[in-house]
Amino acid sequence: MIHDNLDRMLSGEEDVVPSSGFVTSVMDAVRREAATPPPIPFPWKRVLPGLASWAIVLVSFLIAVFAQIGRGATAPSVVPSSTLVTILEGAKSIGAGWAALALLMSFASVTLSMRLIGGRT
Amino acid sequence: MTASDDQADVEKVLAGHIDAFEQIVRRWQSPLVNLAYRFCRDRDRAEDMAQEAFLRAYRALDRWRKDATFSTWLFALATNLYRSELRRVPTVSLEDIAELRDPRAIDGGLEDEDRDRVVRRAVSALPRKYRDVLILFYFHDMDVAAAALSLGLPEGTVKARLSRGREILRRKVPRLLATPSMEEG
Repeated sequence: MIHDNLDRMLSGEEDVVPSSGFVTSVMDAVRREAATPPPIPFPWKRVLPGLASWAIVLVSFLIAVFAQIGRGATAPSVVPSSTLVTILEGAKSIGAGWAALALLMSFASVTLSMRLIGGRT
Repeated sequence: MTASDDQADVEKVLAGHIDAFEQIVRRWQSPLVNLAYRFCRDRDRAEDMAQEAFLRAYRALDRWRKDATFSTWLFALATNLYRSELRRVPTVSLEDIAELRDPRAIDGGLEDEDRDRVVRRAVSALPRKYRDVLILFYFHDMDVAAAALSLGLPEGTVKARLSRGREILRRKVPRLLATPSMEEG
């Protein structure tokens, strides 16, 4: 029977013998792993309601802005300055500046928390 | 026998007896180090990779569903790890292997041992999908089904990649693979 040369070369490879300290080294790593407390999971349950409420605020803001645009000029090719003023006034009346600031701070705090947790694991 | 020993040791570990994991390591250290060596061709790195594989197995022991043998699960986990470890190292192309430009590799003047080593280097330089299939196929004593299980691929895909990988090797190192050995079968 003619054996493929490639089969002979690749299947006849000699085994590598693990070093004598290999088992000890693995078991030391396993014991260290067992002694380490599990990482604290990110508190999504607490964060999600906050994120959801900010998303609602953002959507309401966008709806208000588009409603203002709709009420303004019919189809301007460039947004006139009077429309811009109307939009800004509309945004101010519903407290959009504070909402945007709060959203930004929430985002920053979530990002920071994720990084701190990620750095620990 | 080994399968039931594995299961018993896994149950002990899951019950909190960490030392039972040592029996698993003793039983599977040689296959896992050898498989890692076939991927990276470096003894020290192979041991590091095998250690990481055991550590991941320890962490994931409770996720071993007993529908596959422990060894199948362990090899699949180790293969995944070894493949992703090698992804971080750029693959050497076949053209970059210095030994293949050695005049003795061209005129057939290499000793058997050197020739085998060059061909193994050439396997490591194959595109990943062919390299992985060839390594696993020969590691599992030319068992397509076992290679497919370790790689999580259908047997048909493994066969196709095996055939294509061999074809590339035959084209790239024709002289090294030219002489068939005659053996009684």
